[in-house]
Amino acid sequence: MAKPQPSLEKVAGDGRARFLAAVRRGVSELFVSRADKSGARIAQIAIIVGLAYLGIGGKLVNYGLSREPPQTLKGAADQAASGARPDLTDRNGRILATDVKTMSVFAEPKRIIDKDEAVELLTAVLPDVDAKELRERLTSKKGFVWVKRQVTPKEQQEIFHLGLPGVGFFPENKRVYPNGPVGAHVIGYVDTDNVGIAGMEKYLDENSLTDPHIVGFAPDPNAMKPVKLSIDLDITHALRDELLIGMDKYRAKAAGGAVLDVNTGEVIALESLPDYDPNEPGDMRDKEKINRLNVGVYEMGSTFKAISISMALESGKFNLGSRVDARESLRFGRHNIHDFHATHRVLTVPEVFTHSSNIGTARMALALGVEAHQTYLRKMGQLDRMKTELPESAEPLWPKHWTEVNTATIAFGQGINVAPLQAMMAVGALVNGGHMIVPTFLVRDQSTAMIGSHRVVSEQTSESMRYLLRSNATHGSASFANIDGYYVGGKTGTADKLFHGHYDNSQVFTTFMAITPANKPKYLYLVLYDQPQAAPGDGGYHTAAYNSGRVAGSLIRRVEPLLGEAPTYVFPQNPFPLIARLGYGADAEKVGKE
Amino acid sequence: MWRILHILAIGALLASAAYVYSAKYQTIYAEEQVVKTRHLIAKERDSINVLRAEYAHLTRPERLQQLADGALQMQALALNQIVKPESLPSPVAKVDSIGRTLE
Repeated sequence: MAKPQPSLEKVAGDGRARFLAAVRRGVSELFVSRADKSGARIAQIAIIVGLAYLGIGGKLVNYGLSREPPQTLKGAADQAASGARPDLTDRNGRILATDVKTMSVFAEPKRIIDKDEAVELLTAVLPDVDAKELRERLTSKKGFVWVKRQVTPKEQQEIFHLGLPGVGFFPENKRVYPNGPVGAHVIGYVDTDNVGIAGMEKYLDENSLTDPHIVGFAPDPNAMKPVKLSIDLDITHALRDELLIGMDKYRAKAAGGAVLDVNTGEVIALESLPDYDPNEPGDMRDKEKINRLNVGVYEMGSTFKAISISMALESGKFNLGSRVDARESLRFGRHNIHDFHATHRVLTVPEVFTHSSNIGTARMALALGVEAHQTYLRKMGQLDRMKTELPESAEPLWPKHWTEVNTATIAFGQGINVAPLQAMMAVGALVNGGHMIVPTFLVRDQSTAMIGSHRVVSEQTSESMRYLLRSNATHGSASFANIDGYYVGGKTGTADKLFHGHYDNSQVFTTFMAITPANKPKYLYLVLYDQPQAAPGDGGYHTAAYNSGRVAGSLIRRVEPLLGEAPTYVFPQNPFPLIARLGYGADAEKVGKE
Repeated sequence: MWRILHILAIGALLASAAYVYSAKYQTIYAEEQVVKTRHLIAKERDSINVLRAEYAHLTRPERLQQLADGALQMQALALNQIVKPESLPSPVAKVDSIGRTLE
């Protein structure tokens, strides 16, 4: 900032000096701030800056109110494209579900010049795309729309040759299930956006094991480790195959089956028929295709007797030598409990089990009372919803008003509906030494399983149950499944189905549970059939032994070698040491005749 | 003397500029190659995955069973055909039958 210099004006004589002085004055003037002019200037600047801010503010409000935030094509495609998921493998590492890259066709409506032509050409190449719907999408104001998800390489080539501006391709992940319907109820399925909808696929999403799919967050698809399920592909296939053969032979409405490792709680195989192909969208919507092991609840029939008898033994009021009166049927007002294979005599506890005596089991439960019965069933996990990794589950159905009649019928498996897998969990605990282990669909070793378990019955009660199951295979209804070489134990269950408030004995629900080997169980098998009919040559019998029992037999014969178990024809020495010391069942081959 | 030094300095400057220029372009080229290779790797990975899925599909137990049932004249495995290694008979001592005839 220069000061005015009046002395210069006087000294300057010639024009050159005057000119210089004028320039100097002009320059110095530029840097002079004069109080009289500054007010107006400040006001001007304030107005300009204020307008600029108003403009910015207005634009911000505009952005905030607009529904579709403008974004880059890449961002839009990334957000719309389906995310990556980890592979699902069986317990031996074989693929059950994996992602493959496929191309999807998208369009940018703003860049398409002739929309009618584009629709015409695209629908000519992609005949399954609805022309009207596509026109609607292309005339929308969106910056990005899908034309068709997951096209074949041939379709991609043809669209590419159309040379339409504003139509492009984006790679997407498509979930494939190489084994089709095998194990479908455990694996589950995904929607077109690769989001898990059911089964273990949904479990992956619930536990954030999939690509988080957030814009600006690039996940490393290689960092996603495959998730190992507990199921075995070969055994699941064998189970499905055997169930299908039986379903055809006995003309059943539905079937189900599972193999459970009783020491770890791992589900080795689980199948429910009719089933669906997870590769086919929409195939799973049918209500008949639910997972009957986990979502369906059924009256388990006589297989429930195992739970009732274990309760009686555990209470200490009964032992294997106790006698129960089954001479006359039990009357409760209008209700009359009678035996299917009536013996009309006093039975020992093993006889109650092998003759599947309703009267005997009901009497044993009644001797303990309603409250003890409820407490025991709750302890065995039969009155509450069982929670596994599978998102689908079902609440058991049992009478809220529970009287002695209910205890009597529930003792032999009528009047309570549970999920079959839930009943398996209880039987598994009864035979594995008394440890309640919640089934899992992920691989787990025994020590981990033991940490999460708790004891529900004593070692001795557990051994008694194994003995009873074994004796039922040698002398009872489970003889069809008594496969030589595997020391099988088992129990049948036939429940009349309830139609319009009446039990109809022509329509039954049959179950069969088997353990191998009975002296130190490793595996628990379950086979169930809904409304099986008698096969020709079976004398009209449609009870569990003839269908579920037989299928369980052929299943054991087929699956045990796959589980790495070689048959042994030498019976175990002293298979039931604890109860042998008490004088029972030293030789399981002779039981039932005692 | 100064002139020579100046020439040398200018020469060094030009040489270093040329070197930096070529180094820069080599880097850009190398970077491009890295990106290209990455794409190739990703592509290979994708195709490996497709092949894995295809292999799993073709070796699914259902299909193998169908093929075996249709093409092989084999019986179902019976349990008595399975034995443990321990229960195999111990090998008989080798008999040199040709040697014996010479004796």
